[in-house]
Amino acid sequence: MPAPARRAAGSVPLVGVAGRVYEPVTFLVEAGHVAAFARALGVDPGQGVPPTYAAVYALGTTVPQLFSDPEAAVDVAHLLHAEQEFSWERHPRLGETLVAQGRVAGDVERRGVRLLTFETEVRAGAERLCTSRALFVVRAPGR
Amino acid sequence: METGTPGGGTTRRELVVTFTRELIAAYAEASGDRNPIHLDEEAARAAGLPGVIAHGMLQMGLLARVAGDPARLRRLSCRFAEAVRPGDTVTFRGEEEDGRVELTAVNQEGRPVVTRARAELVPPSASAGG
Repeated sequence: MPAPARRAAGSVPLVGVAGRVYEPVTFLVEAGHVAAFARALGVDPGQGVPPTYAAVYALGTTVPQLFSDPEAAVDVAHLLHAEQEFSWERHPRLGETLVAQGRVAGDVERRGVRLLTFETEVRAGAERLCTSRALFVVRAPGR
Repeated sequence: METGTPGGGTTRRELVVTFTRELIAAYAEASGDRNPIHLDEEAARAAGLPGVIAHGMLQMGLLARVAGDPARLRRLSCRFAEAVRPGDTVTFRGEEEDGRVELTAVNQEGRPVVTRARAELVPPSASAGG
């Protein structure tokens, strides 16, 4: 179960589900799937794992946890992916098993728009491979 | 159309892509992101969009193609500024100097579809084993 939203004493109050950490998700970097992803981007599948395959092993693994969390209550029908940042220590290898863990870094409302910052850290064993930071914007219905 | 033009320490790359429903559907299938706003006109309009739009991550995947050697890529970021729809033609450009890459993506009307787009590359020797 995800940790409940909390209010840290003496610091900026956390609102919504900010601070919530989800259970780690295991992901196998499978050669056939990577090749299909590369072809969809028009990249030679022989070049290895495309950097933005992170959309699958970092976002595809952990973002569904946020979107299906009833307490986070994300209105997915009115959600847009507004910003994305990836940083890598290295890129994954074919056949490698990764562990991705997501965390709500920010959850604020500004002028009726909800801004959700979601961070995912991806490791292979003890080694950190990739950090993802996504900003999702959720507009109120009718806006 | 991917071209590299070395000159004066700056390397430029360009890629022109016309987005189609098929391209967007193929990306949805390959990435596993089958959100109906990318695939279904009615669902997209119900979400307040003019029609289906491309995944931000599809735009970013194409942007990465002009960022340089993928094995050397250590950072990639952008803001999705304007929706890309089927029929749109987007020109992706990367300009690399000393491992720092400024990226742009502009549609057929000259409007940027991403902003604040940047990448960082490690030197060729440092990517070995990565």
